[in-house]
Order: sequence, then C-alpha cells, then structure tokens
Amino acid sequence: MGEYKKVCLMYRHPDYAIDGIRSALGLAVENMYAYGVVMDTTLPAFDDNTVESIEMLRDMEGDILSTVSANCDTNGLTPITLEELGEKLREMTHIVPYGIK
Amino acid sequence: MAKSLGIFVTTKDCMPHVLGVTQAAKSKGAKVKVFFTWIATHLTQHPDFKKVCEIADDVSICVDSYRKQGFDPQVIPDGLTEKKMATQAQHGIIIEDFDCYLSL
Amino acid sequence: MKILNVYRTEPDATVNKLVEIVTRDREADSFNLYDGAPDYDKLVDKIFAADQTICWW
Repeated sequence: MGEYKKVCLMYRHPDYAIDGIRSALGLAVENMYAYGVVMDTTLPAFDDNTVESIEMLRDMEGDILSTVSANCDTNGLTPITLEELGEKLREMTHIVPYGIK
Repeated sequence: MAKSLGIFVTTKDCMPHVLGVTQAAKSKGAKVKVFFTWIATHLTQHPDFKKVCEIADDVSICVDSYRKQGFDPQVIPDGLTEKKMATQAQHGIIIEDFDCYLSL
Repeated sequence: MKILNVYRTEPDATVNKLVEIVTRDREADSFNLYDGAPDYDKLVDKIFAADQTICWW
C-alpha cells in the first residue's frame, strides 16, 4: 500500500462543518490528501482556529471547498460545483459524507 | 482470511447500525475497529456502548470532541480505558490499515 | 472498481447526482439503512465484496 490515501469529507449541516474541517486536518497530518467540502449551508466567518486549520491543510496539499458561493466569499473556500465534486470523488480512496444532512 | 472493517462514527442516532454491523462483521471473523468523534461522542452514554466495546476489537473516541460536547475527560465511559480517549489519529489508522471503511 | 452506496436516509437530488457521477462506468451496488430493520449480515457481505463503500447522509 505505497500510495497515499485520498479522502474527501463532505458537510451539509452547519453543526458538523467546523469539526469536519478539523477532522480533515487530522488526516492531512497523517500523510493523506484530505479535502473537505461545505455543501447546502452558509457558514458565518470562521474563528482564528478554523482559519489556521485551513491554512495548515492547504500547506499539506489539502483543501476546503464549497458548492455555496457565499462560503467562498466570506471564508475564502475554494469554489466547486456539484458536478466537479462528483468527478473529484472518483479519484478518492475514501469518501465520507460527514454528520447529517 | 476475513477482511478488517473500520467504522468512523459522526452521528448520534446510529447506535443500532454500529452494533448491528459490528456484530455481523465479528460473526464473519473480521477484525473491527470503531472510532466515535464529535457529536457521536454522546453515544458513550448509550446503553449499548459497552456492548460495542466488548464485541469490537478496538473502540476509541475523540477526547477533544468529548470535552467540547460537555463531558468531563476525567470521566472515562464504561467500556473504555484512558488510552482509548484518543485523537483523530485513530481515524487515520482506520483509513490506512483497514481493508474496508464505513462512516455512520 | 465496485462501489457500494449505503443510504442512511432516502437519497435526495444531491446524493443521486453524486452517485451517478461516482458510479459512472463502474460496477455498483446499494443498501438502504432507512427502511425497516436492516439485514446487517447482508450489509457486511456487501461491504466486503466492494472495493469502496460510501455511506451517504
């Protein structure tokens, strides 16, 4: 199993998104490609801890993206469409619909 | 040889699924590891939590989530030991070392 | 590549779209956790038979 794992977590409910981002960072520090995608929900401006988590994740070649443009504007998340997300999921070794919808 | 199964639990209404899948996988000779995080740490209070700990090969929780959900990290739930009050690294172990993966 | 789609609740348009793309040109199976008492034995057989399991919301 020489290949690095590629994991995508997806968050549709606001109560799960921040912890889900932390969870993605937790995988990145374990040497995996970790991505998180905020869907369906518009989140308020992130606190410093979450901003720092996302910066660290991006430094480790991971990313936090969103299908909701307001999250990209407010929190600098990387825009992605649902179709693009579907294509991205095809490359993943692990797909994690995180929490509830 | 039977496959191994790692279960990553993020929701709190899925205890019947966690128990049912764990029991079924163990009956097939599989190695089973379960990790509870975030809101799912509330399941440490579920009447079936101890049973899952007894049946599965390894059960741990995210202690940081447990604290954030209002529990005292010094109070170790029935079925766990201090060592099993763990971190997200346990999720990493499931992804890296287990044949099959289920999130609930 | 064989994908197992497990549904915790009835899939909505978003889930259906993602499943459609992820399973395109791939072998796929499914299991519902939301209607009635699930046959966990059958679910575990399906998980072990699949290359990847996705448990949707």
